[in-house]
Amino acid sequence: MTFFFRLVLATLTAALSLSTGAAQTDTKPGIKKNRPKPAPVAAVAAPAKSSPQGAAEARLIAIYRLIGQGNTLSALRQSEQLVKDYPEFALAQLVFGDLLTARTRPIQEFGNVSPEQRKSGSATLSDLKNESLLRLKALRERPPAGSVPAEFLQLSPRNKHAIAIDASRARLYLFENRANGMTLVADYYITVGKLGLEKQVEGDQRTPLGVYFITSQLDPKSLKDFYGAGALPINYPNMLDLKRGKTGGGIWLHGTPPGQFARAPLASDGCVVLANPDLTHLIRTVQIRSTPVLISNQLKWVPPPSLQPRSQEFTKHLNAWLEAKSSGNMAKLSAFYAPDFNNSGKTLSQWLPTLQREVAATQGLTLQIKDLSLLHWKDANETMVVTFGEVATGRRSGLTKRQYWSRQGQQWKIFYEGVV
Amino acid sequence: MKYARSVLFKALRLLTLVGACTALSSHADDYTDVSTLLRANKFPEAMTKVEGLLTTKPADPQLRFLKGVIQRNLGKPAEAIVTFTKLTEDHPELPEPYNNLAVLYAGQGDYDKARVALEMAIRTNPSYATAHENIGDVYARLASQAYNKALQLDNSNPAVPPKLALIRELFKPNLANAGPAAGTAVAAAAVKPAPAPAPAPSSKPVASVASAPASVATPVKPAVPVVAAAAPIAAKPAPAPVDDEAAKSAEAAVLAWAKAWANKDMANYLAAYGPEFTPGGKQSRSAWEKDRRDRIVGKSRISVTLSDLNVKVSGKEAVVKFYQAYKADALSISSRKTLTLQHNGKRWLITRESTGN
Repeated sequence: MTFFFRLVLATLTAALSLSTGAAQTDTKPGIKKNRPKPAPVAAVAAPAKSSPQGAAEARLIAIYRLIGQGNTLSALRQSEQLVKDYPEFALAQLVFGDLLTARTRPIQEFGNVSPEQRKSGSATLSDLKNESLLRLKALRERPPAGSVPAEFLQLSPRNKHAIAIDASRARLYLFENRANGMTLVADYYITVGKLGLEKQVEGDQRTPLGVYFITSQLDPKSLKDFYGAGALPINYPNMLDLKRGKTGGGIWLHGTPPGQFARAPLASDGCVVLANPDLTHLIRTVQIRSTPVLISNQLKWVPPPSLQPRSQEFTKHLNAWLEAKSSGNMAKLSAFYAPDFNNSGKTLSQWLPTLQREVAATQGLTLQIKDLSLLHWKDANETMVVTFGEVATGRRSGLTKRQYWSRQGQQWKIFYEGVV
Repeated sequence: MKYARSVLFKALRLLTLVGACTALSSHADDYTDVSTLLRANKFPEAMTKVEGLLTTKPADPQLRFLKGVIQRNLGKPAEAIVTFTKLTEDHPELPEPYNNLAVLYAGQGDYDKARVALEMAIRTNPSYATAHENIGDVYARLASQAYNKALQLDNSNPAVPPKLALIRELFKPNLANAGPAAGTAVAAAAVKPAPAPAPAPSSKPVASVASAPASVATPVKPAVPVVAAAAPIAAKPAPAPVDDEAAKSAEAAVLAWAKAWANKDMANYLAAYGPEFTPGGKQSRSAWEKDRRDRIVGKSRISVTLSDLNVKVSGKEAVVKFYQAYKADALSISSRKTLTLQHNGKRWLITRESTGN
């Protein structure tokens, strides 16, 4: 018994002593977030088809906490209930097995399986250990209260939700864009590509890094069982990826196949995989086209006010472009476009006549930008993904435009522009 | 508080048994008859006998218990489950029917139900050793199943069948020939550690574990089988060359331990365990000692018969495996047991006690 106690403290560790919440729930406006309370003992929660807070994981963490407190009998009872509700939750089965074993003899290590089981399931066992560590780590090391990923430079009211993925933590964070700012409402364990990140070419089994948008929703009935509760494709390869010659496609956020509650941390062909209840909640919550999906190796969390200077600095460039476009001065306007501009195969010189026609159509009218969203992606280069409504004064509506700007020294140049 | 409760449970159980025994002392021979038939594997005859007795005493818990055991042996587990379930409803204070229910559920592969039944047995009688041992095996089976699910291994993986057989074996319930007359007669008999002229450390197994006691069972003198059962060990010639003095002394230590147990000689019984011995579960040594004392001293009679001893000595460690027929009051349990002993320079002391192979 004591061995098991020690083992949890040692391998599953400080999460228990820190008593971080299994899921962040305090999202009330204007309330300073304190360290969340331990998740309530969730034995009563029935398995919901959609889990706003990752109910199964919360219950698993509550079990870890009980083990950490030496309360292995309650932990056993709750793990029994958990595997009854989620029989396909392999990690929960492993913990349940350990708690049962601990009733008969000391546990030597987390996942105290028999030698035969170890022999035939060693890869799965080490995946489960990793999954456990990643889940705990993500729950132990919470994003600072009220902070947002630095890439979310500015989101418009039309971006009702935003998704940020921290691959190093195997975690997806779901934000709601509220009146008082971006609020983290849920986060989930995820699986990424077998061979890791930074997708380059088709079939490389990697997950792309960058800023994307959900493009559609696929009905699970039209999909193979393998994708579980459905799928939300994203727009990989985006304009930056195409510019860089990246290939492949069909990168989706999707569910898990029958028989698997969750998949190993690195297991997909490049997609982002969520447990079906989590994916279902995501599908019900987010909007198609206007929900950004940021995929990062490691998210950098910042307080929103710290983003303002950069946002203002970029907006100056955008306003200068707008002014040039309003003025109808094509020479001035074309200077904002990069030589390697590309719109669906059209080079800059092929595309400028289109721009000119647009300018002619609104001649004499001042253009305005509405619902501006700025997503700032930095790797070897610096890219701004800009989405806005372009409305001429006096008109009631306009087109929603998306531009990709690239930083070149002190200058920002547009290398893609199109209508969303 | 806890103590008071367990005392209460014991008192209840005692009352039932005394009640049953007093009321039926005239039928003590009937019990013996049924038991004898049972041991002789004459199950249809035992069933006829027990059903006849039940027509006059339909509520008698002993007879109903026997009936359940016979039903199981007749290969009617569903009927045995009904019998034992009703018995737990009418006598929730008795742990044995729960235990046997668990055996039947485990036999059907339903370890969840087996576990619940054993937990009830233990709740009923917290010091019920058999249920503790059985639940350990059930936990191990459940853990193995959970691990298979976790690792997405086939649950019919080859590691499973032997363990299952082990549980069936371990669980084999045999009702002792109950009744105060028999009780007093057997009381002090226990194990005769037999001077053992040539103990057979690596002897081949006694023909059949189940038939060993049956072959020597004599209905007339209940005291005989117990004593006689010990005889085969001693009498059996050693086909293999006798190992050495160490094996002999280790075997003698085990027999002395069994004798002390049967004689309720707590001083010698507890002294047989070395300081390294750690009780199973989360029990402390002192809690375990108290547990053992309560359990052993509280019995009106105990007999422990060992057979099929196998002794392996390497250096200061000896591993002794044997078949243990344990009888206490109303119930008898046969199981395989392994004792690990350490020689402390003077004598062999038990460091580990485990049930199973």
